Amino acid sequence: MYNELEGIAHYLQQLPGSSIFIRYVKSSYQNDPWRSLLELLLFLFALRVWLSKRTRRDAEKGFVGLSSTEIDELVDDWQPEPLVPQAEIKQAPTIIGPPSIKPKVSQPGQPSDKARQVTNLVSYNFLGLLGDQRIKDAATKALRVYGVGSCGPPGFYGTMDVHIDLEKSIAQTLGTESAIIYSQGFATITSVIPTFAKRGDIIVADEGCSFAIRKGLQISRSTVRWYKHNDMNSLETVLDSINREAKRRKAPLTRKFICSEGIFQNDGSLANLKRIIELKKKYKYRLILEESYSFGVVGNTGRGMTELYDIPAKEVDILVGSMANTLGSAGGFCAGESVVVEHQRINSAAFIFSASLPPMLAVSANETLSILNSSSGPNIVHSLQTNIASFRSVLSTIDSIELASHALSPIQHVFFSQSKELQIISTSQKEKSSEEERVEAVLGDICDDALVNGVFITVAGHLRGQESDIGALSAGSTGIRVAPGGAPPPTEPRASIKIAISSALSKKETEKAALVVKNSINRVLKRRA
Amino acid sequence: MQVNSSSRLRSSQLERSPNTKSAFLYPRPSLPSLSTTSADNLPDARSYLQTKLDVPTKSLLSHDEYGICNNPDFRYTSSHNSRENSTISEVEDPSYFILISTYVSYVLLIVVGHMRDFFGKRMFKKHYKHLMPNNGYAALLSDFDSFYTRRLKLRIDDCFSRPTTGVPGRTIVTLDRDSADYNNTYNYSGTSTRCLNVSSYNYLGFAQARGGCADAVEDCIARYGVSAGGPRHEGGTLDLHHQAENLVAKFLGTEAAMLISMGFATNSTTIPALVNKGCLVISDELNHSSIRFGVRLSGASVRQYKHNDMKELENLLRETISQGQPRTHRPWKKILLIVEGLYSMEGTLVNLPVIMEMKKKYKFYLYIDEAHSIGALGPSGRGVCDYFGIDPRTIDISMGTVTKSFGAAGGYIAGSSDLVNRIRQRSHGMTYAESMSPPVLTQIISSLASITGVKEFIEGGDQVSEEIHPGPITYNTLPSWMTLPRDLLDGSEGKDRLRRLAFNARYLSSALRKMGFIMSGSRDSPIVPLFIFHPAKLPLFSRLMLERLTKDAASIVVVVVAYPATPLISGRVRFCLSSAHTKADIDELLRACDEVGDILQLKLSKRENKWTVEECIDRAVELVESEEA
Repeated sequence: MYNELEGIAHYLQQLPGSSIFIRYVKSSYQNDPWRSLLELLLFLFALRVWLSKRTRRDAEKGFVGLSSTEIDELVDDWQPEPLVPQAEIKQAPTIIGPPSIKPKVSQPGQPSDKARQVTNLVSYNFLGLLGDQRIKDAATKALRVYGVGSCGPPGFYGTMDVHIDLEKSIAQTLGTESAIIYSQGFATITSVIPTFAKRGDIIVADEGCSFAIRKGLQISRSTVRWYKHNDMNSLETVLDSINREAKRRKAPLTRKFICSEGIFQNDGSLANLKRIIELKKKYKYRLILEESYSFGVVGNTGRGMTELYDIPAKEVDILVGSMANTLGSAGGFCAGESVVVEHQRINSAAFIFSASLPPMLAVSANETLSILNSSSGPNIVHSLQTNIASFRSVLSTIDSIELASHALSPIQHVFFSQSKELQIISTSQKEKSSEEERVEAVLGDICDDALVNGVFITVAGHLRGQESDIGALSAGSTGIRVAPGGAPPPTEPRASIKIAISSALSKKETEKAALVVKNSINRVLKRRA
Repeated sequence: MQVNSSSRLRSSQLERSPNTKSAFLYPRPSLPSLSTTSADNLPDARSYLQTKLDVPTKSLLSHDEYGICNNPDFRYTSSHNSRENSTISEVEDPSYFILISTYVSYVLLIVVGHMRDFFGKRMFKKHYKHLMPNNGYAALLSDFDSFYTRRLKLRIDDCFSRPTTGVPGRTIVTLDRDSADYNNTYNYSGTSTRCLNVSSYNYLGFAQARGGCADAVEDCIARYGVSAGGPRHEGGTLDLHHQAENLVAKFLGTEAAMLISMGFATNSTTIPALVNKGCLVISDELNHSSIRFGVRLSGASVRQYKHNDMKELENLLRETISQGQPRTHRPWKKILLIVEGLYSMEGTLVNLPVIMEMKKKYKFYLYIDEAHSIGALGPSGRGVCDYFGIDPRTIDISMGTVTKSFGAAGGYIAGSSDLVNRIRQRSHGMTYAESMSPPVLTQIISSLASITGVKEFIEGGDQVSEEIHPGPITYNTLPSWMTLPRDLLDGSEGKDRLRRLAFNARYLSSALRKMGFIMSGSRDSPIVPLFIFHPAKLPLFSRLMLERLTKDAASIVVVVVAYPATPLISGRVRFCLSSAHTKADIDELLRACDEVGDILQLKLSKRENKWTVEECIDRAVELVESEEA
């Protein structure tokens, strides 16, 4: 033993610089054993931290030590579930050729030469500019200069002059300082919300918000409180209660947002922007407004909610819209102050990690925008509004349905009335499916019947089972909390038929198509009864 | 050294009078005629890029978009060679001096940044409004989150987001800009510069405004317009979608495929359709942001393992399967391993053969993100499976983009038809997002068809069984209205593209290694990262490549990447090669790297037997074919 120690000491002495180390230890520790002990302990502690593996952390959470053979057995025993759960496969009809106002449509499984020409109330052709020659010409011209793809994210040579042009025209049209474009409309809001709202921030959201917004809220990990759909009193109560709670808890000042849609995707209702702006100013919130379905269609010249309510767009802090709907192209945008926009250029995931919008699509969107901004713009918007009104007037005569959408919305949702819905749910043969799916099955029959009679309409698409899956949205140990006067986290949206009105049809044609829809509803309901 | 070079840089900027540039921005350039083949009609091309070619050209391709390189020696076939370790992910360590000085640089930047913030907030309140509570509103941006953007990125912001115009092909035209207020705002002079483009994701060179694919797209616009009019499940499904999806599946050798209109959204909206609470996602630590986004949305548990470390992956699998879910110890519902085929910042390949072995034993599902590898790897361009010779049907889900290799935009999900059909029902992108635009679909169809070739047009093609993968497609797979030139239909051009890319990738990567740069990744990867380390050298590298010091040298646009996209010390420049590049382009790039590498002292490798740049250029074919570099 002693010899071994001697050996080690001898070995130590042979290391270069060891004499200095030994002299240092001897001279500094001679009179202070406590210090030696403390430093030795510190050294051992550091060694332990360094050697400990990641799994040690799990040891505290009940990590079970297993031998290698036990692990092998467990591995052999483990059987995973199928990758995707079994589901009923619903297939949508296919448009053969361009999505014009009178396209050829074939049912799933039908050969394409059997396709029939029908009236299209499905495609987002609100302004009737889908397939317009001016836009085709602009796109072709862009193709011959830029090719198809942009081949790179905006940060790495994917920002082209046409993108900058489009950003400028959107900002100019709305009257905001600046705008930024994304390459997919749906991904825009989902990425914009978490760019600004972080953990600990507060978002007050309308319970009727669309799926994309719900996902954005989920990923932001902020504290979310919901208010009743389009109910301004509920919004005020929620804002007030949050204020009081913050005061009581002496919580530090955090970012606070109100989140609403202009025209709601799920039911076509129109937000009361005027009141929201008043409340946001009163309670010092910032407003995130989703204008995917209102930009380009409401207001005298189609500039959206802010024009409709005669509010400068600058009052909306973060204004998000889509070029895929009204502008008949693809992609989304976010407009606001330049601080808001520039922050997204380096912090918004869907912007920085995605290739930029194909230049020809940016050019097409810009072309549609310039048509809208030209002298013919107000006429197009006006004829769209006339068509919406005539469509509604035909359908309003049926008792068993509800037209919950606003008279300005280019998307008109047809719901069954509450009593009819209950009746359908209780008499449905489909026992395994959810209530919404049972209603959707009947709505699907109506769509099929309408297609046979020459009008193409569709059931509003929803991801049943995933809509209400919004994570642990309201942070806090007590689980999901409902603000007084507010609403619980939203569940599945009601089933509806979604109808896209277009100004490409004349008033008469719209009425005729509406009549077909009406007859189909009556026919299917009669058949069931 | 750096001071010296930056002063030279400034003088060179002065020398470059505006006459080397042209007014190209507004109004837009008039459309070049279809038959243009030479590079000399563009006024802004600098001498090298103006060089007239004495090679006769038969196609309608433009040399600016797709370089003409007819020497059959400059071709190579990309495939796995077991004697070369192509999945290696270790990088040679630089000397301690480099490491320490890099850290010191960052510390300096951070300290100076905080000092500026400290004084700025007190003395220039106006400029810090959005960072401070204001009138009862909390700061819009948190100080901490935006520190990096304001204090580090802004300094070198001129190297990012350079606006461009025209086709992002072999060359690209950047709009000249300068800033008088330290990159807060830019002034556009209205002139532009044509540069050699080693930055765009244009692996197979399909970024073209001319040629057979572009002609097909033009026909498509005339026929279909630019929008499909809605989400896939709400009437936005056109016949073109079915045709393109069939073709993608044929190309990949899977039963079915679906297309989503944005690459990022393909991951972020499909992963939540696959996993949820109670499932485990095992993810490589370098996986793309879209994958993390999707996993976060899904609510599944996530565990990461060190990049490409198969040992750690196996340990992790053993641990997670045996322990089950945290706290409850219930078995996991399922385990999904998500890897990328080719990692976009490292150029490394996934070690697929080992993963396939493990998959048998541990029964996890495999999701491969082939965003960068599809089209770019493998003897027939079918991605990592093709490269390693693995049956694509044994992969559960293969995801990829059509943005990068095929000059289109968007992504696909492929697998068994049962699986794809079910994902269709559950993916957010199919129900809510706009469907893929018809011209983009046409670009996909025409470019994929030119890689596979059409059976009826290939000599002896009629004997090929339809079951064989990878094989040609049949003519009736294409839309009836589509007319493609013969060299696209018989697959000869497509084959040439694959072989040119493979040569270019291997040549550049091997030559830079030989010259003594520290490189990462596989030599077959079309992404070639070169390590720079110091944050101060990053912008210098980018600017020196753009403003070449040698007379008559071509401007080159490069991508520099630093923290947070990479680990703190490994700032790098990343070259993305393309079939569109000629051997002469790579030579020029090598000379530029040599020049700038000497100025910035980047040849840090400790290897012996370094070659000079001219040696590399002369012995290019030998370099490419040798098994070690």
